[in-house]
Amino acid sequence: MKRSVPGIAAASLSALALGGAILAAPMAQAADYPARPVQIIVPYNAGGGTDLTARVLAKVLEKYLGGTVVVRNQPGGGGSIGTSAILHAKPDGYTIGTGSQGPLAMLPHYGGIDYSLKDAAFLALIGRNQMALGVGKAAPFSDAKGFLAYAKAHPGELTVGNSGAGGANHIATEGFATAAGVKLKSMPFGGAIAAITACLGGHINAVVAHPAELINHVKAGSIKVVMVMEDKRIAEFPDAPTAKEVGVDFTWAAWKGLVAPKGLPPEVEAKLTAALDKAMHDPEYVKKMADMGENMDYRPAAQFKALAERDSEIAEKVIRSLGMYGMNVNKKK
Amino acid sequence: MEQLSYVLAALSPNVLWVTALGTLGGIVIGALPGLTATMGVALLVPMTFGMEPVNGLSMLIGIFVGGIYGGCISSILIKTPGTPASAATVLDGYPMAQNGQAGKALGMATIASAAGGLFSSVVLATVAPQLASVALKFGPAEYFALALFGLTIIASLSGDIVKGVIAGMLGVLLSCVGADPITGASRYTFGVTGFAAGFAFTPALIGLFAVSEVFVQLEKIFEDKVKPVSVSGVWPSWSELRECWGTLLRGSIIGTFIGIVPGVGSGTASWISYNEARRASRTPEKFGTGYMPGVAATESANNAVCGGALVPLLALGVPGDVVTAVLMGGLMIHGLAPGPLLFRDNPGVVVGLFTSSFTANIFMFVFGMAGIPYFSKILLIPKKVLTVCIALFCFIGSYAINMNSVDLYTMLGFGVVGYGMQKYNFSQAALCIALILGPMAEANLRLGLLNVDGDLVAFCSGPITLFFLALTPVSLAWPMIQNRRAKKKALARQNSEVS
Repeated sequence: MKRSVPGIAAASLSALALGGAILAAPMAQAADYPARPVQIIVPYNAGGGTDLTARVLAKVLEKYLGGTVVVRNQPGGGGSIGTSAILHAKPDGYTIGTGSQGPLAMLPHYGGIDYSLKDAAFLALIGRNQMALGVGKAAPFSDAKGFLAYAKAHPGELTVGNSGAGGANHIATEGFATAAGVKLKSMPFGGAIAAITACLGGHINAVVAHPAELINHVKAGSIKVVMVMEDKRIAEFPDAPTAKEVGVDFTWAAWKGLVAPKGLPPEVEAKLTAALDKAMHDPEYVKKMADMGENMDYRPAAQFKALAERDSEIAEKVIRSLGMYGMNVNKKK
Repeated sequence: MEQLSYVLAALSPNVLWVTALGTLGGIVIGALPGLTATMGVALLVPMTFGMEPVNGLSMLIGIFVGGIYGGCISSILIKTPGTPASAATVLDGYPMAQNGQAGKALGMATIASAAGGLFSSVVLATVAPQLASVALKFGPAEYFALALFGLTIIASLSGDIVKGVIAGMLGVLLSCVGADPITGASRYTFGVTGFAAGFAFTPALIGLFAVSEVFVQLEKIFEDKVKPVSVSGVWPSWSELRECWGTLLRGSIIGTFIGIVPGVGSGTASWISYNEARRASRTPEKFGTGYMPGVAATESANNAVCGGALVPLLALGVPGDVVTAVLMGGLMIHGLAPGPLLFRDNPGVVVGLFTSSFTANIFMFVFGMAGIPYFSKILLIPKKVLTVCIALFCFIGSYAINMNSVDLYTMLGFGVVGYGMQKYNFSQAALCIALILGPMAEANLRLGLLNVDGDLVAFCSGPITLFFLALTPVSLAWPMIQNRRAKKKALARQNSEVS
């Protein structure tokens, strides 16, 4: 019985926490931060990858922050609803959240979103999901060079599946194609699993997905990873060259980090980033992330900010070239 | 011998205990509107971190099986589908309960769920690797043909064909709200971010079936006549069972097949099974009035999906539905790679999963049968009080899914639409089917045409596509033929009586 109501319980708890927040706000001083529970908003469903990471992090962060840290899920709108809540919260350090590439660096370019990357204060990058190009057994090529040669010879014919229109994998595919000077046919599926399944069944030639999603099929020999969009080769697929190695200057990965609304008191921001720095090196946290198959990549605030801005810029170019820029702007406003 | 030792390991008290616990938890989760099997499994995956793989996975399978079954309880008793999988059970289950056969309806649903679950477990344990390849044969064109075939159910479910088509069209239209599947652009959201992913499905279903019923009940809330509802009798009679035997088998086969095809899911399976049961029946007019085979058809199919969906997951590493996708996460956390290598590297885990799939269904049957007399006591609550409670449940359930207040408006909106449909005899089932299959048809039609550059001949040329496309007009015409036959029979009877 108890298990069936955690969602509701969490909601009422966080409502309580919020209520408490409003009452205590004027009294809280930056010096005695955190005087009450710190809330991490996760803009995705409970049980997903980001949520699980945030929950593990919350536990570890309590140790270094010296206060309670709770996770609250606010899913919907591809993450934009929760992200908007984070960036529009009172900048007192009691409401922070996970900031992911999609809602931060991509969604604002489509329009219809009430925030932009500029509204975010960056705390720490916590992980990156790398991008790999997998090809099916039936595809008429079996390495990155062959892939590029085929794409050049057959412009717009080579089908590459992604996890959804306008998502990170779609942008990665199109960004790569632009950098390589080829034309690919992007096929948006309802999720990475559906795209990989279509590739397994030979309905499409290739698929762009994260290593964790592909590795079992690679081990089973049904999909071959021919390229990764990283600076260096990755441990999962040591034989797959980077895009740079085959002459295409392009790197891309989906990332997540911790962000807060802009305008945090400097002492609070310093406390948060220091605690995060310790948490990221905590052996318990590192082990749990490894067990979960998460690709940890801790970067301090400044580097996180630089990465987010770089990706937002690239995404904007790709989205403009796809004719998707501002497509969701509410014209009436 | 090695295999047997794995089976025995999966039958150890430790494993049985967590499987039973999972199944019981699953039944509760399924019965509560707004908590689905997917959420149950997702929330418990982290709990299995510290367990032995077979223990943890057995618990998750228990939740899966129990969760899909549990949905029928609230469908039958209070017309509130606990999970989308059991929306079709409302059609005959709720009228049965209103006719004083709540116990029997739940009894049949339990028997059917166990039958479907056990059937698909047998399939899973015997021919999983052979059948799994079917899962990969489905590309966009095949999915589109299957969805189109599924949409023809509307013709036979909705008495008045014109009104059925109107309801179906409305459903397809409503399913267009949200992100365009190919371009990602927001459609018909009017700038409301909460609608960016379309109407949330469970709140829409709760509104369509439960809230509309609350409105209907409110009309007569002051008529103080409390109908004594009988809840006695749990086991269907032998003659009733014999009547349902064929339906159970058909439902189990349909459910298992749909389960194997990735991404289709138990909602679709139960509707198709319901329609096929009706088509094969000698008394199709009885469906929808509280007819036991109607319950048998839907519940056998949706629970057969559980075993079916595990087939491609274990054999290919491709999850068959949303729940198994979460389950795959659970497997990988334990360092197990679902797919052909799992059979080679971890046969103990595979056999353990097969075994737990059986035991979970047996537990589900025992708990279900034992619990029915208590579940059905809900109906002894005075209607006035019950109606208010249901209304409250609708709100909590719709909100709990995403914690998004926009979903409450979705629920109320669909409630008003459902109420109007009920008043003017439009089929709510038709709208529900269109909501499930409309997006599947649209996304796959466009994706498939994109793949072949709009070449219709190439699009339709696959054998599976052709098969379902050929069945579609047959399925459309069948209810009309059935109608005409029934009329002829009635006419003949009249004539013979006259002469």
